[in-house]
Amino acid sequence: MNDPGYEILSLDDLDRLRSTDGTLLLRPLRRRLGFQPFGVNAWEGEQPGDQVIEPHREASGTEELYVVVRGAARFTLGDESFDAPTGTLVHAPPNTFRSATTLSAGTIVLALGAQAGEAFAPSGWEDFYVAFALLRAGDVHGARATVQEALAREPDAWQGQYNAACFEALAGETDAALHYLRRAVALNPKVIEYAADDDDLSLLREDSRYAQLAQ
Amino acid sequence: MTWAHVDELECIELPDGFVWRPIRRHFDIRAFGVNAYTALGAGSPLVETHTENQLGHEEIYFVLRGRALFTIDGNEHELAAGQLVFVRDPSLQRGAVAVDEDTVVLALGGKPGQPHEVSAWEAMFAAVPAANREEWDEAIRIHDEALVERPEHPALLYNLACMEARGGRHLDALLHLQRAVALESKWAEYARRDSDFAAIRGEPGFP
Repeated sequence: MNDPGYEILSLDDLDRLRSTDGTLLLRPLRRRLGFQPFGVNAWEGEQPGDQVIEPHREASGTEELYVVVRGAARFTLGDESFDAPTGTLVHAPPNTFRSATTLSAGTIVLALGAQAGEAFAPSGWEDFYVAFALLRAGDVHGARATVQEALAREPDAWQGQYNAACFEALAGETDAALHYLRRAVALNPKVIEYAADDDDLSLLREDSRYAQLAQ
Repeated sequence: MTWAHVDELECIELPDGFVWRPIRRHFDIRAFGVNAYTALGAGSPLVETHTENQLGHEEIYFVLRGRALFTIDGNEHELAAGQLVFVRDPSLQRGAVAVDEDTVVLALGGKPGQPHEVSAWEAMFAAVPAANREEWDEAIRIHDEALVERPEHPALLYNLACMEARGGRHLDALLHLQRAVALESKWAEYARRDSDFAAIRGEPGFP
């Protein structure tokens, strides 16, 4: 079938993927559409009190706009907190602390983001978020394909190599995990310090080759 | 303020009957393009019929409230709150009318692989209320502000010349019109038919 050049979609058609720690629920919109100009994703809070926007700052210089498109959320922006019903727009400049919890069941917040003055490139976190969710759901093949997509796009990013090491360790593939960890360490020697406390990598720490890498 | 409800944003009724809610401009967002559109009533224009050939933007239209009847490349689609249309191909004609009176559509757009550049049309739209009130100094100020970032934008220069001609700044109008025409010759033809220039059409140097 020919590509018509446009696509209709409902937020409810998107996958619903839990974060590794179980606190967040992502509907990966940008990745699903292949939208290229900037980041746009939907975050869901199923029940009142659920975290819908992770408490964080965008140290990378990313400017964000959150739009409450369903339900209502309680936002914290800097040192102010406020209720945000459907239709509320929340602008978070880089480095501003932001966080939101759900006020009503089924709340959805769109998150738009990019760096001013920079061409947008999809961040590997989207791929790895999806890959880890697929792995937990038992789709190892689909998960690994997603990891490979991320690595192909940013082969020299230590973060991607490190996440691939975590992924393979969780998948039980020690050799592959060590391979990626070596590459991550070569790109950023500090990685070995992160690896020391990372639960995802427990499998590797029992291996003598890990000890050699850590020396 | 760093947060606002979409209903609290400025409500700018444009000549073709649709209503622009300037989100990007309200927050001075520099990293991406985002706006909202509302309508004057059910059945009224919501999204102007246009292509993105000139800007090369990919666009997402997301229905935030109500229902909208989109026409994309000649095909009609009624979308309800929570639905969106992603128009990947800039050459496709797209537009929408409101099905419900209180419909709100978010428009997200940008050019792949390029840092976001504030579109010149935003200043032209933002100046519409001042121009309608014949507050020419304010309309000129909005254009001047946009020209600081885009000094060689022909459409902005042309529109500024219109405001200046209407506001009695005839020499400025002539100079800016000449600059617009020098950058893009099509503006000479527009100027010859544009009633905004009635006061300067006979001036020497009018294109």
